[in-house]
Amino acid sequence: MHYLRLIRSFIDVAFQNALAYRINFWVSLLHSILDLGTGILALMVLFSQVEAIRGWTLPATLALLGTYLLLGALRRLFIGPSLEALAGMDGEIWVGTFDFTLLRPVNVQFLASVRTWQPLAVLDLLLGAVVLLTASLRLGRALALVQVLYFIVTLLAAVAILYALLLAFSALVFWSPGLLFTWLFNALFQMARYPVGLYPGWLRLVLTWVVPVGVMTTVPAQALAGGLSLGMLLGSLGLAGGLFCGASLLFRTGLRRYASASS
Amino acid sequence: MNLRGGWALIQRTWLSWLQHRSFFFLLAFGWMVPPLIYLFVWSTAAGAGTAGGLRRGEFVAYYLVLILVNQLTYSQTNWTVGDTIRHGGMNTLLLRPLSPIFDALASELAGKVVYMAFVLPVTAGLALILRPELQVTLQGGLAFVPTLAMAWALRFFWGYALALLAFWATRADALLAVQDALIFLLAGQVAPIRLLPAPLHQVAVILPFRYMLGFPVEVLTGQLETDGLPTGLALQLGWLLVALVLFSMLWRAGVRRYAAVGG
Repeated sequence: MHYLRLIRSFIDVAFQNALAYRINFWVSLLHSILDLGTGILALMVLFSQVEAIRGWTLPATLALLGTYLLLGALRRLFIGPSLEALAGMDGEIWVGTFDFTLLRPVNVQFLASVRTWQPLAVLDLLLGAVVLLTASLRLGRALALVQVLYFIVTLLAAVAILYALLLAFSALVFWSPGLLFTWLFNALFQMARYPVGLYPGWLRLVLTWVVPVGVMTTVPAQALAGGLSLGMLLGSLGLAGGLFCGASLLFRTGLRRYASASS
Repeated sequence: MNLRGGWALIQRTWLSWLQHRSFFFLLAFGWMVPPLIYLFVWSTAAGAGTAGGLRRGEFVAYYLVLILVNQLTYSQTNWTVGDTIRHGGMNTLLLRPLSPIFDALASELAGKVVYMAFVLPVTAGLALILRPELQVTLQGGLAFVPTLAMAWALRFFWGYALALLAFWATRADALLAVQDALIFLLAGQVAPIRLLPAPLHQVAVILPFRYMLGFPVEVLTGQLETDGLPTGLALQLGWLLVALVLFSMLWRAGVRRYAAVGG
């Protein structure tokens, strides 16, 4: 309960902050629409030349784009900004203000993961949902309840994987404070825009097992398009759980190495 | 024109950039990923046959050249000059006995050296794995150099002119976001220009964005239509003149209007 109350006040503060810059709302809306528009146009260009690629048709790929936008929005909503404030450029570890965060009487990982919110990302969340809805209508047949259920479960697993990966990349900063690992993740995350099956074999292995960015969007989209086996469902749940524990462990180990910075 | 001073500035900037190479390598990697994604997507789409009349190896060649050209022509002044004006850094630059354009040129050159140190080996490695099909004709090779130089100049002055809008509006981010989206769609990143569907294709040929990036790539890889070279060169030169005029007008009017902010 205490933790939920904290989250609520973090959101309140962020909301008031966002209200102070009203024009920013329109700029942000423009960004979201451009992002969505270029994504959809890119798919239309691709599928104007080919019917399907490795079994992926336009509606199925659209469902994947929707999942990608949804995950990207959740990342921008709080996971991204919070961890960026910790490990990003001029982040707390970089300038040394992390000491003050450590002194707070709350779990450090919790505080570092949820304290900064970007309320405008809700726009992206809505747009992503619209794309998903359109895609599932265009998939043709009526969606079975089971499929929707599978989709929600795998999407939740994807959010956990996303969080765990970002936490792990941020935790690496404890070992090498000068490197912007979160930026490296940003670059890799873009690869989730397309089904992991479209990449050549070696890259597919990397995106599935080393940095499982590909799994995050491919599995939920497959659930919606109706090509998901029970094994993959359990696999993605297991991966989410394993990565979450691993990343938390890495963060804690890194934390012990933290020796403050002074300027 | 104080050329000796300008050259000293270029050398200084270059040396200081080399110190932070890991940061710039990361930036370069980030810029490489989007074209790389489309390289993989299109070559998978082509498979053993063709997509839009191009074979797999031709897509690989197109996109590998595009990655290099993108890195060589990418204009950072878009962002940095605007910030310099906004934060009042322009004051110091204007007091120097040499034009502030040298500052931009210095970071351009420094940047290109550092980025190429990363991008060239990576592209060469990718070329070894992905086996591009590239047959350079004498005409294509000869025409590539001037088109590349003009593409760089066009993107540089166009970006600088847009950044100068910061003299009037404190935030030109919305405009820059639109320009980024247009470059993504119309400069040949999402697909080679000739694969774009009809209305988009005509727009891409007329607007300046193709001449900042896609045009030299098409010239080198021999993907132009038969009479494409003279028309393309004329359009590129025309847009370059427009950008130069725009730049000098905005610069003159802007500096006169400039009232320093902060220090």
